[in-house]
Amino acid sequence: MAKNPETDDTMETTKQNQSEEEVEHSDEQKQEDELRSLLLSDIGDLPLSPPSATQVNFVSYFITDFTKPGHDQYIYRHANGLCVIGLAPTHLAFKDEGGITNIDFNVGKSDRSVLKVSGKRKKNAMRSESNTALCKVSTAKDSYIVRCCVKGSLLEVNERLIKQPHLLSSSADREGYIAIIMPTRPADWTKNKESLITLEEYKAKKEVSL
Amino acid sequence: MWRNKKRVCERCIFRLVSVEPFDSDLSSVSASTLRSWLESGDEEDASSSCSRVCIVCLGVLQLVFSDAKQTLVRSECGSDYAARITDLVKEEGHEFDSFAFEVSVPSTIVENERAVLFYLKGKYNSEGWVQSDKISVKDALKVLVLDPLKASLGAKSDSSSFHIRLTYSKASDEAQSASETTKHERKKRKTGEENGSTCMSENSFEKVYEPCILSVHCNKMPIFFSGRYFKMSKQIFLLLTGDLYRWIVQSYLLQYSRNVSQSRWIIDDERMGEASVEEIIGGNILPACFGDSYKFHAAGREDIDVRMLGSGRPFLVEVQNSRKCPSQESLMEIEEKINNSEKKLVGVKDLKFIGSQCWAMMREGEAEKQKQYAALVWISRPLEEKDINSITALKELKILQKTPVRVLHRRSPLERERTIHWMKVEKIKGSSHYFLLHLCTQAGTYIKEFVHGDLGRTSPSMGSILGCRAEIIQLDVTDVKMGDF
Repeated sequence: MAKNPETDDTMETTKQNQSEEEVEHSDEQKQEDELRSLLLSDIGDLPLSPPSATQVNFVSYFITDFTKPGHDQYIYRHANGLCVIGLAPTHLAFKDEGGITNIDFNVGKSDRSVLKVSGKRKKNAMRSESNTALCKVSTAKDSYIVRCCVKGSLLEVNERLIKQPHLLSSSADREGYIAIIMPTRPADWTKNKESLITLEEYKAKKEVSL
Repeated sequence: MWRNKKRVCERCIFRLVSVEPFDSDLSSVSASTLRSWLESGDEEDASSSCSRVCIVCLGVLQLVFSDAKQTLVRSECGSDYAARITDLVKEEGHEFDSFAFEVSVPSTIVENERAVLFYLKGKYNSEGWVQSDKISVKDALKVLVLDPLKASLGAKSDSSSFHIRLTYSKASDEAQSASETTKHERKKRKTGEENGSTCMSENSFEKVYEPCILSVHCNKMPIFFSGRYFKMSKQIFLLLTGDLYRWIVQSYLLQYSRNVSQSRWIIDDERMGEASVEEIIGGNILPACFGDSYKFHAAGREDIDVRMLGSGRPFLVEVQNSRKCPSQESLMEIEEKINNSEKKLVGVKDLKFIGSQCWAMMREGEAEKQKQYAALVWISRPLEEKDINSITALKELKILQKTPVRVLHRRSPLERERTIHWMKVEKIKGSSHYFLLHLCTQAGTYIKEFVHGDLGRTSPSMGSILGCRAEIIQLDVTDVKMGDF
């Protein structure tokens, strides 16, 4: 049987191209597989419920009965020094029937929600003392003043609370935070810290299981 | 003759007074021959005149200088001088086939020369040679020395990246007294010109009795290497200085706190030695170049606890004053050494020598439009099929991010709009709460904040899209798209 050398040759080359493509494809596949195994390398150690971003990045402090009984607040301090202020779970406002109806930042001498802090140096930030008023939280029955608890510059208030007061009821420790304060001097913070208690002490004091 | 009284050397005399230019022909004539041409029968002692330092060129054109050990070095001719310079250059250990030659002389030379020329113009105003341009001491030295130096070094002279610089400085020089005398002299000279005086007062000259100190410096312009790096560890920095400072501050703050897991910030003593990508890569390239120091530039950056996988991130290493340029083979060896190291903290690929086009490429990389990530996400309720569909359906999703709390202390409080180009959910076997989220985003997007919401300051977030709480456990960069880099 006479072989046709031309067709044989072309058949050979297409086979070669195919196998080259296969090699390339399997190389890519190998890279992807390697990547995937790296991405999932720690998969065995995953806990059922991991710590939250707040728990990992912040240190929790509490202050109880601040200026008035039942006025319990939290101060979450980030490693960079910034403090997030909010209502602790045992605050009186949560005990009122009907829940939280309104949050008003227009207290003291100015409306805290219209502050415009700008630049790296945080120009125009309001200087606050620990008892400076931040906002007034109203329930169906009563209203409560929330204070800074930390001496420093007020960087931001959570203006979302104005339109969505329910955030405070549903997640006071996250989306329902009140404000962010930057202590101006390390000495101010150390002095402040003396009046604060830790999470453990807070739980013990209020006999709350969190 | 005023020339001998004023102790000007032979070459300076010819340079300043002769009509003929001080060219290579004249420069090849030895000093003693020049002297004999000048001799006009005065009873000047030959030896004393050559031992005195010229008041104009301070010994530079007499080929006399003081070396680092304060020994006086005299050369009879250009070749001898070139040989001594060659020895000093060879000590620096550079490999080169061309060089750029630079000479620096103390300002006193220029000032003294001005004073001499002023006097000459005043006295010999009518004669032709007074008005012609005079070659400077620097240029005269180059004419004297360059050709023998080229021969001695075996190299060409051009605008090379390798510079040989001869720096002459005054022997009895304290910086203070030098500036004091120059100010003083400038004032005197000014008044002298105003008065139209034609005498060359002794005071407008700075008298220098010792030859200058010569130091020879060789410098090679920086060379560049490019490549892509991988960061495999969650406890290694990208750069040493800025990151390390921040780490020290933060770990100090955390150390004195309670109820925070510290494992992320603990770097044991052993690891501190190799704490950054910069050190691992730069520290291996530098010795191969026999350079003085290096700088590491990366096209973008990632946090300490974020790995760089997939395509790797483009980087440049700049090496100062390298003595040797490593071959492609040695670069491959460096790559292998880093990739096969025991600790496997960093990986490198495509390491190569790159020319001046590197900066354009880096700038292009910084303005990169898209980056790809893989995030390990946990949600507070089980993942459902409809979640996967709703996430995948979101294309070019616009999000608003307030400056994250974790960087708010050092950045402006702004609200930034960013785009998430696409997202893909990859289920993880055996877990309904954890999944891998692949996403491609605009440069400058804070991924961690997009997942956990940053107290509601990033919106929408993974949590708000799925209607539950979401946390990010791990973040890896999987692709940095950057052209031909």
